[in-house]
Amino acid sequence: MLEHRRRPLCIAALAVAALTVAGGTSRTAQAADKTVISCAYSETYVFDNEDLTKKWWGGIKADFEKMHPDVTVQLVPIQGGYDDIVNKLSLLYRSPATAPDIAQMATPTVDRFASSGYLLPLDKYLAKTDWWKKFPPVIQAEGAWQGKTYSVNTGENDSMLYYNVELFKKAGLPVPWKPTSWNDILAAGRVIKAKLPGVVSIWILAGTGSGDNTVLMGVDTMLAGSSTPTIFDEKTQKWVVDSPGLREVFSFYHSVFSEGLGAKLSDLFSTSGVTAPVFMIPKNQIAITFGSNFYGGNWSKLVSTPYWPQAPQVAAVVPVPTVNGKAPNISTTIGGWDLAISATTKHPDLAFELLDFMMNKENQINAANWAGFVPADTDYVKDPSFINFAAPYNELSAVVLPDGVIEPPSGDYLVWSRGAQEATGALAQHPNTTVDQAIGILSDYVKNQLDPSQTEVLK
Amino acid sequence: MEGDVAEKPDGVAFLLLLPTLILLLALFVGPVLYAFYLGLTNIALMGPTARHFHFTGMFNLHRLVRDSLFWESLKLTAIFVAASAIVGVTVVGMALAVLIQHAVAWLRAVVGAIVVVAWMLPPLTAALIWYAFSTTGGTLSLLGGSQLDVLNTFPMFVVCLANIWATAGFSMLVLSAGLRSVPTEVLEAGRMEGASRWRVFCSLTLPIIQPTIVTNILLVTLLSLANFSLIYIMTGGGPGNATNILPIYSYQQALVFGKLGYGALLGDVVVIIATIFAYLYVRVSRITRMAAA
Repeated sequence: MLEHRRRPLCIAALAVAALTVAGGTSRTAQAADKTVISCAYSETYVFDNEDLTKKWWGGIKADFEKMHPDVTVQLVPIQGGYDDIVNKLSLLYRSPATAPDIAQMATPTVDRFASSGYLLPLDKYLAKTDWWKKFPPVIQAEGAWQGKTYSVNTGENDSMLYYNVELFKKAGLPVPWKPTSWNDILAAGRVIKAKLPGVVSIWILAGTGSGDNTVLMGVDTMLAGSSTPTIFDEKTQKWVVDSPGLREVFSFYHSVFSEGLGAKLSDLFSTSGVTAPVFMIPKNQIAITFGSNFYGGNWSKLVSTPYWPQAPQVAAVVPVPTVNGKAPNISTTIGGWDLAISATTKHPDLAFELLDFMMNKENQINAANWAGFVPADTDYVKDPSFINFAAPYNELSAVVLPDGVIEPPSGDYLVWSRGAQEATGALAQHPNTTVDQAIGILSDYVKNQLDPSQTEVLK
Repeated sequence: MEGDVAEKPDGVAFLLLLPTLILLLALFVGPVLYAFYLGLTNIALMGPTARHFHFTGMFNLHRLVRDSLFWESLKLTAIFVAASAIVGVTVVGMALAVLIQHAVAWLRAVVGAIVVVAWMLPPLTAALIWYAFSTTGGTLSLLGGSQLDVLNTFPMFVVCLANIWATAGFSMLVLSAGLRSVPTEVLEAGRMEGASRWRVFCSLTLPIIQPTIVTNILLVTLLSLANFSLIYIMTGGGPGNATNILPIYSYQQALVFGKLGYGALLGDVVVIIATIFAYLYVRVSRITRMAAA
């Protein structure tokens, strides 16, 4: 009996196998006829939501394949956060069989991928484009390693100071507010605390919960406007663990947290600390925020996380000033996402053609609006479709961009960053932590992880 | 006598075990040995040594010895395992097992089901429940004051509690089985001689189920040593380095800082500690079997 019952099953299995083989052969044949260009990109981290990710990358694929009927653009989405993207890309690059022809990568990681030998120098291609020369030098430098350019930027993030107009008016503070120094920020924060208890006077990220983003939007941004903005001393090739600038920054943190002007630890130390103000500002829970350019886009109708039509009237924005108001009185770090081509690609010209297509005006402005970026092209940032998408935030984000500084392009920067995260975490959690102790935490951490000989003190 | 026969080498048995042996060598021993080798190299996630790495001798070991964070991490690992696995899980698991043994049938079923469900939950869910429970705005802060932030104030205490909560069900099941195996006539004899319930429990029940308790402690220790997800999701090893146990520190070195070689070495330390506990577990199991025989 069993044998009889098995026979039809065997026939069915053979039929399925035959169909599978036939289908597979057919697909293989189809694929063999076409040139495949693979693109690896973040599915869940870079764009404001997954629908917009699919819309942008799906649009690129559809449009490019329409222009090139003999080409298949193979999308390789990567799920997860920042570290997951770096790790997955590192694994993909380890074999030429899996290395994506084009990959989207965070700007601070470009030099490490380039020094691994994974990326193709793009200089000869870039010289022929009309958009590359319109990139600010600081952004061009992000994709460079040992004199060659390995990636092109597709959007930047920078930092700005948001303040809540309604809360400022309630507290009797002047509107519009134009802080010219860090003391101006502290002074306004103190008034808010006195007049509006329960409101977070000054939101500035601290601790290890949000990783390097904490430092990018806090310590690094302020350090850029301090009296000594150096993190890595290029001359001595050493990491700065104590300097007047670092002390100015930690002193600001000390004032914020020792005077009770900062946010709750559970919000600051949360992994969602980077996006928390996007939800808290519309609820009038924060008066002054050291925030990122992407907030405005998040409040737009298209992105709606959350949709906040009153944003332009309530959440005003100004550049983060320097410590004492030194011109141009803008402090910000910048960091974004680049596109690079694999050194092992079999179709470098076609890959660059696709990259060039991604860099056109429509695609770049869509990417900026859908991911909360500032376009690198100095013409695109003036376009009304960018400026009006999230006014007044997008316009100011483009103004501060050229004065931004980039993270030191070294893997060991993450060690320095972790030390700074722990130092700010201690200042936030234990308000009696002194500036000397905070410097000690940073210094001890970097010396322990690297080597004391790789650190220095700037006077 | 039967035990002696079973211990003798048997060609057929060896042949039957050969596929398992090959699989273990290929999928476990091989990768572990390779990880030990990587721990002595300068392999990085990215950069010039990502593909062209080489053996660096004792360099990583020297660094390990000098690394104050490693020693701190080792201490935190011992605290986490001792507090949550040995003390917490065994005591809580024993308390639950004893209470359930004496409870009415429906209560036994309900409590047993709840505790086992907590054990069956994925670490992600358990971590999120405890994160929501113990941070500002969570249940605990609603009960004890709106600004209460227990997780960030007592991070190691809370992650230990979460681990106990998540693994007590396993201990309860193991220890319940042990308690059921205690001969009732022995307990009755104790009571007839005038011993209190507490005295009977301490002087008769505990010694009889001692091998079960030790087995449970060792198994829970191994489970806790490998419990990366719970702490990673709840605190990421923070605040600062307050909950930075070895598996978290290993991950940070390998996949955040990109130092795969040093991260592998830290992982090797976890493997060595786990191997010691696994060896103890095998020894205890053997003693238990011999005692039973």
